[in-house]
Amino acid sequence: MFVVIGVTLFLPSSGLLIVENISQISNNIEYDAELSLFLEKGIKQDQIDFIQSALNKTSIIKKTHYESKLTAWDKLQTKLNLNPLNTGISKNPLPDAFFISLNTFNEKEINTLIDNLNTIDGVENIFFDAGWVKKLRSILYLSKIGLALLGSILIIILIVVIGNTIRLQTLTHKDEIEVSKLIGATNSFIQRPFIYTGLIYGLGGGLITILSLKVTIEIFNKASINLEAMLGGTFILKSLIWQQNVSVVIVAILIGCFASFFAAQQSIRKFEIFK
Amino acid sequence: MINFDKVFKRYPGNMDALQNITLEILPAELVFVTGPSGAGKSTLLKLISSVEKPTSGTIIFENMNLSQLNTRDIPYLRRKFGMIFQDNKLLYDRNCFENVSLPLAINDIDGIDINRRVRAALDKVGLLNKERIMPISLSGGEQQRLAIARAIVSRPSILIADEPTGNLDKEYADEIMNIFYSFQQVGVTVIISTHELPITPIKHKKICLIGGQLKDQLSHVPLLS
Repeated sequence: MFVVIGVTLFLPSSGLLIVENISQISNNIEYDAELSLFLEKGIKQDQIDFIQSALNKTSIIKKTHYESKLTAWDKLQTKLNLNPLNTGISKNPLPDAFFISLNTFNEKEINTLIDNLNTIDGVENIFFDAGWVKKLRSILYLSKIGLALLGSILIIILIVVIGNTIRLQTLTHKDEIEVSKLIGATNSFIQRPFIYTGLIYGLGGGLITILSLKVTIEIFNKASINLEAMLGGTFILKSLIWQQNVSVVIVAILIGCFASFFAAQQSIRKFEIFK
Repeated sequence: MINFDKVFKRYPGNMDALQNITLEILPAELVFVTGPSGAGKSTLLKLISSVEKPTSGTIIFENMNLSQLNTRDIPYLRRKFGMIFQDNKLLYDRNCFENVSLPLAINDIDGIDINRRVRAALDKVGLLNKERIMPISLSGGEQQRLAIARAIVSRPSILIADEPTGNLDKEYADEIMNIFYSFQQVGVTVIISTHELPITPIKHKKICLIGGQLKDQLSHVPLLS
């Protein structure tokens, strides 16, 4: 029974461990929603200044960075090591641009801003970068919901398994229960040892889960370090913090107690005495 | 002490186990409930111990109406009784001491007191030297004496015995009956259901049931007493 509980709780716990580790990485990355605003070719400086002042007046814009087409062209050439003579590009093909950091992720506000910016003369194109980190966080959020669902299903399975075990135990103690009832034992008195059994199952199962997680992390991290030489990078799994470990054990104990309480209660009530 | 007033008990299938029973059991009385099989003897005892509830009528015990007793109060009522069964209902995976101590554990008696009272009860039935022995090793008579020790250990005011000598030879049966008589002599009400009325030297009441009806309710004072 300990192993059954341990292995069953290991599945959602290991999932939680992975999600927690990836969440920590994504939380360490600072990012903002960004707009790239490309201007029409041949735009005059007056118009650029007007757009700059319009952007400065918008409350959801955190900061703006203007990049002229000359600067952009220089950067591109340097980055790609281009020589205009070799590539055959004689004219700068890049437009002037504003790169805008926003202080919101609210899509409605962002879309309104894009619509407003599109009405300004001299604005050619606007691109909204939703941000891969945001996508990652969304995936993690969904993973957490998935894990919660998986955990709930597994908890129900555990309750059924422990409940059936306790029900079988009440059957093997049928005579004792009947005699106890006849001499004045209350149902709660009779239930007590079965609840203790459920508690011990939960405690043992919870400890096996934590132990399994520790062993798995150790094995994974060792393998990861060995790969470092080959791939040039590592991903070290961090253990669950002690509060999470305690929570796993408490959840296991609660499952054990809950399942045994109801299984014993139902079973004991059904026993008819003196027949 | 116990009053039955126009008590009927009908089991599913329209079988009347008891019909219009009115009787009174007094404190410290020795009562024999007699009658053939199916007469309603066991049903009468089940009604007293609240294993069954009457279909109609009232049963009063110590100012409690057992017909209206709350399910939660039934265990506390049963603690006032000592119950002995024909098949003794001992726990064969526990030794004599553990069997006898069970009612005290249920009553939350502390360990030292349990030890003292269990030994006293075993002594009373002559099994003190067998407290660590498993019941399976005891003879039929000894097993029934062990069941009596379990019934008396919590010092009940009423002993209820359902065919306690039904499975025993005459020698053992007399031995068991003598134990019951000794308890009655010290003020315990003893109610015994039996097929045949034993020859007893002490004053007793006979309740005779036939087909669920009360045929006879007489007090006897034997000449020998």
